[in-house]
Amino acid sequence: MTNENHHDGPPRVSGWRLLTAAGLLRAAWMTPLFFVVGLFIVAFFRWLAGWDPVYDWTVILAVGALTTAPIGFLTGIGAFDYWLYYISGRPSRPEDHSGHGARRWQDYFRVNTDHKVIGVQYLVTTFFFFIVGGLLAELFRAELARPGLQYVDSQTYNGLVSAHAVLMIFLFVIPAFAGLANFVVPLMLGAPDMAFPRLNALSFWLLPVAGVMFLASFVTPGGAFATGWTGYPTLASGQPLGQTFFNIGVQWAGASSIMTALNFLVTIITMRAPGMTFWRMPLLVWANFTTSLLVVIATPFIAGSQFFVLFDRVLHTHFFSPDEGGYVLGYQHIFWFYSHPAVYIMILPGFGIISEVISTFSRKPVFGYRLMALSLLGILVLGFSVWAHHMFVAGMAPWLRVPMMVSTLLIAVPTGIKVFSWLATMWEGKLRFTTPMLWALGFLSMFVLGGLSGIYLGSVPIDIHASDTYFIVAHIHYVLFSGSVFTIFAGIYFWFPKMTGRMYNERLGKWHFWLTFVSFNITFFPMHVLGLQGMPRRVFDYADRFAGWNMVISIASFALGASTIVFLYNMIVSWARGPVAVGNPWRAMTLEWLVSSPPPIFNFDEIPQVVGGPYEYGVPGARHAVLHGGTTGALQETHT
Amino acid sequence: MVVIGVAAGTVATLVAVLIPWLPDSASKEMDRIQFVYWFATVISIVVFAIVAAALVYMVWKFRAAPDDDSDGPPIHGHTGLEVVWTAIPAALVTAIAIVSAIALSQNGKAGTNPVRVHVIGQQFAWKFEYPGSGVSSGRLVLPVGRSAELDLVAVDVIHSFWVPDFGQKQDAVPGLHTRLVITPTKLGTFPVICTELCGLGHATMRSEAEIVTQETFDAWLAKEKQGAGGGGGAAVFTAQGCGACHALAAAGTTAQVGPSLDTVAKDAQAAGEPVADFVRESIVDPEKRIAAGYAKGVMPKTFAGLPKDQLDALVQYVVSGKGS
Repeated sequence: MTNENHHDGPPRVSGWRLLTAAGLLRAAWMTPLFFVVGLFIVAFFRWLAGWDPVYDWTVILAVGALTTAPIGFLTGIGAFDYWLYYISGRPSRPEDHSGHGARRWQDYFRVNTDHKVIGVQYLVTTFFFFIVGGLLAELFRAELARPGLQYVDSQTYNGLVSAHAVLMIFLFVIPAFAGLANFVVPLMLGAPDMAFPRLNALSFWLLPVAGVMFLASFVTPGGAFATGWTGYPTLASGQPLGQTFFNIGVQWAGASSIMTALNFLVTIITMRAPGMTFWRMPLLVWANFTTSLLVVIATPFIAGSQFFVLFDRVLHTHFFSPDEGGYVLGYQHIFWFYSHPAVYIMILPGFGIISEVISTFSRKPVFGYRLMALSLLGILVLGFSVWAHHMFVAGMAPWLRVPMMVSTLLIAVPTGIKVFSWLATMWEGKLRFTTPMLWALGFLSMFVLGGLSGIYLGSVPIDIHASDTYFIVAHIHYVLFSGSVFTIFAGIYFWFPKMTGRMYNERLGKWHFWLTFVSFNITFFPMHVLGLQGMPRRVFDYADRFAGWNMVISIASFALGASTIVFLYNMIVSWARGPVAVGNPWRAMTLEWLVSSPPPIFNFDEIPQVVGGPYEYGVPGARHAVLHGGTTGALQETHT
Repeated sequence: MVVIGVAAGTVATLVAVLIPWLPDSASKEMDRIQFVYWFATVISIVVFAIVAAALVYMVWKFRAAPDDDSDGPPIHGHTGLEVVWTAIPAALVTAIAIVSAIALSQNGKAGTNPVRVHVIGQQFAWKFEYPGSGVSSGRLVLPVGRSAELDLVAVDVIHSFWVPDFGQKQDAVPGLHTRLVITPTKLGTFPVICTELCGLGHATMRSEAEIVTQETFDAWLAKEKQGAGGGGGAAVFTAQGCGACHALAAAGTTAQVGPSLDTVAKDAQAAGEPVADFVRESIVDPEKRIAAGYAKGVMPKTFAGLPKDQLDALVQYVVSGKGS
């Protein structure tokens, strides 16, 4: 019986105790309280220094609303409780795992240290922002359907474009991959959880903070940040208040990324099941290992770049004001030193997902497993030597252009290895076109186009013509939409039975794929032509000769948005009422399929022993892992 | 598989050839850019055809029967194949890199005796100065067949100078002088576009590049030179690039980014102000009144800093609609 209590979630409280117990209610009063604290900190120092006005709202918002209030929210929700008890010398609550695992739906709305709960929290949150970001895009596509201004003013238009990009990058693609990996990686390693479960919970709760901040900028005087997601000074230095929301929002999202990446690195290095050598890790684990290295090394640079702009704006420093000795291009070098590796942060986890899906549904080992892992590391290293290819027309030192071009084009080599190896994995396989496999194949075909347009942009002379045009918009959507987003969909469908214990509707899944695939191509392919013909990006108005294609693109983009409704319906209805899933519906070999769907709260009742590679399909008697309790991880054990 | 590959390659080639991807080249630099472009396109079509062929063939050939629960053959890799698909792409991108580097170096050479132009970007207009002559214009006028060496700078935020038909593009950066070479090969008028998001009026920050014969160019320069430095309203109008956004019959400008100046008398009446005050106020404090149908924050506020005599002349010129 004691054991029951021990695993029965946090103690239930009622009445006034609800206000002081960690949770959303406590966050609801601590957030405004901390805002007031921030307000008085600013007012006190301004009063002390004799500055007028004492209540300077641009500074108060930067400190109170964007810095202390989020700390109040995190404290209120309980992200710091354990550490605060520990630091203050009070007895920290016994480690009874009371914050761990989900037994009822409310457990998804509190600080939870279970990596599986956190994974689901991540995915639901990121899909919320995916929908918001998508709606912003539909708004400016409506504006772009015809030349001239129709529905919004130009500041709002620039704000919509900027917020669309920022939400999709920082609140969807990057954290959606973190969410999938959160759920899957510890299971794949045979671990009971991540290495630092409380840090993991904190990383998740930083995310809604950043997302709300980006959205809140729309209601500030002057509107949302309107400088594109790149936020170049000197334009950014002189923008209205919304820009500050971007500068600081990025800090919260970036902190979340860095903490999660550290957690993945430590988990992958130290918590692999016995027998799981690096060369026996599934490629998804390899991909997240590489991605985490990128995040840890690169993300501090974007944090720095935004701090510089913030200081220029609020503290009146002169990092980027040329009249005072500042260097405008300095920002771009620092920004792209993160933001180029960021595109690999947004695609390498997808590469991992595709390897799992293609191998499973081809019933064959991944072709050239070791080269697949090494090519990830190759992209990691090369990825840090190409940032200035975003600056071929920026006016940087001319000699930098050719070396940056060579390293950029060389990235085609490891990427090519991956594409050809996936194709070879399918060769003579027993292909099954389930929904995840369709997304994987859609990714494979479209990502090749995105890679090829990347070659054009890597070549300096072509880039000089195509830079800052709709060709760029087309290219990034071929790599980030038919690249990253397609792989996220592949991953969601693939692990949906494992996460929810239920099967999704295969028929609706296929409809979702085909609707998205077709409308995606009609939306983005013509943008290549528009850009090369002379339509610049980030404009609300364009030459009349581009009107025809823009109308086509806008209509297709509405269809693309509508295809998401099929996805949402399928997910919600299947989660509630779908047929119950077996432990291993795909007859896959990696460790997460050894346990029930959804997995037990502590994942494995006994630690699995890894005895072979993760993709030994077709090898007689081969296993990835065994459980001594008698069950084996053999693929031949088809159904329960 | 070969059949599918040839079919995919043919379709890709048709898409590449039949759609007018690039504008017709109007400069020597664009000729080289187009050469690199087609070089990369041929390679891309081959790569695309190979991948498409393999994918379509396998989807058709290796589909598992519904009741077939068996596995495929346990092929773990093939060193030879892996070497091939590492080496061949490496060779192809090296070829593209070499061709690109040569074109890039050629495109940076201005040759002997180029026309020198100072390009100044400001929110939200371009200004072109011809050093040595004192001429300043809102439109870029260049002689055909002779290299032009542009020296670019921005006064407020980053802008980017692009004429799609010339191919060449370069950011104009505050505090930095950047350089661009263009050798026009065709007579005509081409759009100048700002391609770096520079604020509210970014979308409408456009001008024109007019390519004329050397004789016409010399004549134009001489004519502008006479007007330049005189402080006359027409000269100020041209030098400040007003015509890039505003239509004014007297100056022969027709741009529609901002309100037309041919109707200032009527607009002043509607605002209930003497026309000269109305025009002056609109130049010095453009945010105070925004003409219906136009956006706030697009007109630069920098004109408040014009010397008083120039401002007076400009107001006089716009009000009277006559050259001085």
